[in-house]
Amino acid sequence: MKLPLAGVRITDFTWIGAGSYATKILADYGADVIKIESATRIDSLRMAAPYKDGKPGINRSGYFADRNTSKRSITVDMKHPKTLALVKQLIARSDVVANNFTPGVMERFGLGYEAVRAVRPDIVYLAMSMQGASGPERDYLGYGASMVALTGLQHLTGLPEREPAGTGTNFPDHIPNPCHAAFAVLAALRHRRRTGEGQYIDIAQTEPAIALLGPAVLELTVNGRTLTRNGNEHWGAAPHGVYRCAGEDRWIAICVMNEAHWPALRRVLGDPQWMAQPRWSRAASRHRDRRELDGLLERETARWNAEELMHALQARGVPAGVVQNAKDVIENDPQLGHRGHWVKLAHPEMGETIYNASPFRFSRTPTQLSRPAPLLGEHTRQVLRELAGLEEAQIESLINEGALK
Amino acid sequence: MASDAAHSQPAALAGLRVLDLSGPLGQYCGKMFADMGADVILIEPPQGAATRREPPFIDDEPGVERSLSFAYFNTSKRGVTLDLDCAQGQALFRRLAATADLVLETEKPGVMARRGLTHAELTALRPMLVMTSITPFGQTGPYANYEAEDLIALAMGGLLYLGGYPDIAPSRVYGNQACLGASMFGAVASMLALTEAEASGEGQHVDVSMQECVVMALETAVQYYDLEGTIRKRYAGQQRFAGTGVFPCKDGYVYMMAGGIGANKFWALSVQWLLDEKLPGVERLHGEQWTRVDYLLTGEAKRIFAEVFAPFALTRTKAELYHEGQRRRIPLAPINTPADMLASPQLRHRGYFIEVAHALRGRPLLMPGAPYRLSRTPWRVGRPAPQLGEHNAEVLGEIGVVRDELESLRSRGVI
Repeated sequence: MKLPLAGVRITDFTWIGAGSYATKILADYGADVIKIESATRIDSLRMAAPYKDGKPGINRSGYFADRNTSKRSITVDMKHPKTLALVKQLIARSDVVANNFTPGVMERFGLGYEAVRAVRPDIVYLAMSMQGASGPERDYLGYGASMVALTGLQHLTGLPEREPAGTGTNFPDHIPNPCHAAFAVLAALRHRRRTGEGQYIDIAQTEPAIALLGPAVLELTVNGRTLTRNGNEHWGAAPHGVYRCAGEDRWIAICVMNEAHWPALRRVLGDPQWMAQPRWSRAASRHRDRRELDGLLERETARWNAEELMHALQARGVPAGVVQNAKDVIENDPQLGHRGHWVKLAHPEMGETIYNASPFRFSRTPTQLSRPAPLLGEHTRQVLRELAGLEEAQIESLINEGALK
Repeated sequence: MASDAAHSQPAALAGLRVLDLSGPLGQYCGKMFADMGADVILIEPPQGAATRREPPFIDDEPGVERSLSFAYFNTSKRGVTLDLDCAQGQALFRRLAATADLVLETEKPGVMARRGLTHAELTALRPMLVMTSITPFGQTGPYANYEAEDLIALAMGGLLYLGGYPDIAPSRVYGNQACLGASMFGAVASMLALTEAEASGEGQHVDVSMQECVVMALETAVQYYDLEGTIRKRYAGQQRFAGTGVFPCKDGYVYMMAGGIGANKFWALSVQWLLDEKLPGVERLHGEQWTRVDYLLTGEAKRIFAEVFAPFALTRTKAELYHEGQRRRIPLAPINTPADMLASPQLRHRGYFIEVAHALRGRPLLMPGAPYRLSRTPWRVGRPAPQLGEHNAEVLGEIGVVRDELESLRSRGVI
């Protein structure tokens, strides 16, 4: 069946994390995403671990591969005088142009919004720099990890008595920014189908993440309170946390949210004597004495296998989940297996490796990845023949002139 | 509120009608549609949605019209009350669904079927209708009926394992990010299905799993296991690589990234900065070993970097380190508190925080504004979050429910 974005073409200058993960979503659902790369300006994610068998190589990074499924890659040297006209030919046949450079880079290529609009008046132009196209810090640079810091997520995550923990990842790159960017592009494409109008989309990569922290902002602007981190605590429920289980670095998350959960937890744990104390049967006193309760509870959970405890608690309706590591989610999770989340694709240099499918399923549209990540420049000839109408000899001469590096 | 000029501009999702039955897993999805101009109708049970009981509250006092979380995540929506567990409420819902493009729901699997409101039943009335169901683990499978709060989904999705301090239990990312991730992917999936429905004339059912959405945030953990056979762990409180991590400064903390990601020039720029500052021991950061990731991962490298950089950082403020680092093209960032963000000259310049009226409070609420700026179809808050049942007469009137009927529906507790 036809994928939702069949017929949509994206000239894609995005690189590294958030931009590439945004256009991956669109590529996986049928858009023809042409990744504009260059050996003179390698997408630094191609040089980021992990690599197949631990051996570095521009076509061996798993970090890069997972973010670039279903795309085609061409290499062009944007500094070569013949390149701009070629890229404009691709843009003339594209619906979207995407980049996540700091402001000014696309303009230096000769591909700012106005220049692109001159070629393709109804283009949807997605720009997603770290701080947006305007403002005193527009030229500042950073990664997802910098945004975790800038947006307040890091300050709010971890324990109050220790340094702010953050997510341990470049979190905004993986969900907030790709999703907001993809949603904005899909909305802009709808507007274009209805009116014929393209437009310019400016995403500051800090801004979607702050948009997720509305309640923390309002706590300050309305109630005058600057929140700080509070571990795994809940504002009203206890126990609500992560507890040690048997084995090396094994943990379970348990959330007792209502008055049915507590007696169910007691029964599963075999009604230990301490749990019978009246103060633990009241939500308010459980929450008041939550630190003490956490310590007592962990003495019980530490005797359990995490999976067995989760199943026993879930059988009685108590929210509980193993703190799964990468091996667990890949090999041991029957639910992700049932949903077919992990897709194996054969890559010419990496062999068969694992990719993420998208995290949703449609009743009719298939969830599929049309191809593994492209090799650097794998589709240069194909794309230039198909979209720029070049003959093999013309391509050869461009290669010899150094335009297609 | 957005300016008058913005109000005269078109909205990207004008003409789309969304019925939003969602709780915590879907409310931001509904907001994304509503702030882009879709007509999003929040459908709550007559006693009010559970999301109205979520803090913070205005002046810390609970109340159905006092939740700031609700006020934030339900902007631009209209609101009706409808008891979907009674036949009359279900009949009214079917009439609304016959006018809608998207139904968004987050009930446990099977609840909509018991109500006779499955996608199959609703598309009989409206073939192009898309229905998006967001649940903790998805509609089917061995864990489909498992209970999950945000923390459980972070655990089961593998992100929790990557966060926090190595010597103690993992720490969750703040702010219901699993619920929000499910909402964001739910919004993308819904737009994909709506796009497809426009072309094919047929809607479809979308099944979003919160756990699976969290898995998308594992960065390289899955690839490390798949390609190298190693399990990525949490490392808060330590540098990730030498030169990359949290350092205390005069008025808080900064996140220093002398290492960057992949190939880059930040290390040389960082060492030059420390040289220019004439820091004692800076020569210890010279040498070929500093170009190797395996060396940067050693305790020795991290200790040496900290011995040189940490005393210097303590003599500077977050802002001083941020601007000087950035002037030198080093991706250093301050670890901002919410107060720092409100004071940020950058966010202020962009007019990021906006005022939205609140009926009960009198004064407007200052909250985050546009997460994206679309030149032709600007994001905007069209109206404050609805009061309980605020649009009952208006919305039900649009499907032909007359005033007398409304009174009888109200007295029987249907609305």
